[in-house]
Amino acid sequence: MFRTILTLGAIGLATTGAWATEIGGSVSSKCSVFTDTTGVYGNPTADELSTKAADGGIDAKVRYDVTLANKYTAKISWPTSFTTSPTLSDAVNWDGETKYSAGTVTAMSGYEAAKTEYNEHTEFALSQAGSTWFTIESEAKYGSNKAFPGGEYKAMVTAICVAN
Amino acid sequence: MWKSFMAAVLLTSSAAAHELTPTYPEFKPHIVDGVYYAKLHMWNRREDVKYYGISVHDAEWNKIPFHSKHKIMKLEHLEHLDFEVNIRKSDLDRIEFICTTSKHLKSDVTGTGVRSRICSRIK
Repeated sequence: MFRTILTLGAIGLATTGAWATEIGGSVSSKCSVFTDTTGVYGNPTADELSTKAADGGIDAKVRYDVTLANKYTAKISWPTSFTTSPTLSDAVNWDGETKYSAGTVTAMSGYEAAKTEYNEHTEFALSQAGSTWFTIESEAKYGSNKAFPGGEYKAMVTAICVAN
Repeated sequence: MWKSFMAAVLLTSSAAAHELTPTYPEFKPHIVDGVYYAKLHMWNRREDVKYYGISVHDAEWNKIPFHSKHKIMKLEHLEHLDFEVNIRKSDLDRIEFICTTSKHLKSDVTGTGVRSRICSRIK
């Protein structure tokens, strides 16, 4: 009896091939913000701090990954204050620029021309699925050509991904 | 040559991401009368950040009061966390965004740090 059941089972396996194993999955919209490079300030003149390579600094770089097109907007802001600095008695004039740097899809190169800038913010409509890199340049000039006091200076770039 | 190139790529493309899902969360009635809740998921792939704050906003980015067990979440690198956001029924129609923002310790920031924020939208 037991042998018959085993034999029938073996025949059943042989005729169906093997156990069917299903792999399921779904693609839903998602945005990930990566910090690719944290910037470094160079000090080209006594009254200026800059992340430009020409000024001895390193621009910050962030990467946005989106799984579906047209679901998110990237909003990137260069700093307008120091998070760490010595005591400053005068005003600091801030400037900066956020640029499209690279993308995994050729059509992403159009992001630069289509970007919207206001104050310290730059918005990019993420109209393509894939990875996009943006470079953020930051400059700080101390008031009335005064020299920045010696010490450590840190500032924050803000990278936002907002669902449409 | 190829090995050097790959080493350079690996050094400059460390996995350091902030992820919030779903993109479009839905509020459902809570067991408590007059309260609605939405479930979200965080994944911290940022090695330099351990804390994330939650905020809820209307369409004009005004803050809306909410309750969550984790208003400031502590997530180790590569840790996942499911969390709930509870709101009043009276705020249900004006909620537009639920966001999580990285919180940085001053000692952890070098040069220009990157504050990341991801906002899911209520539709």
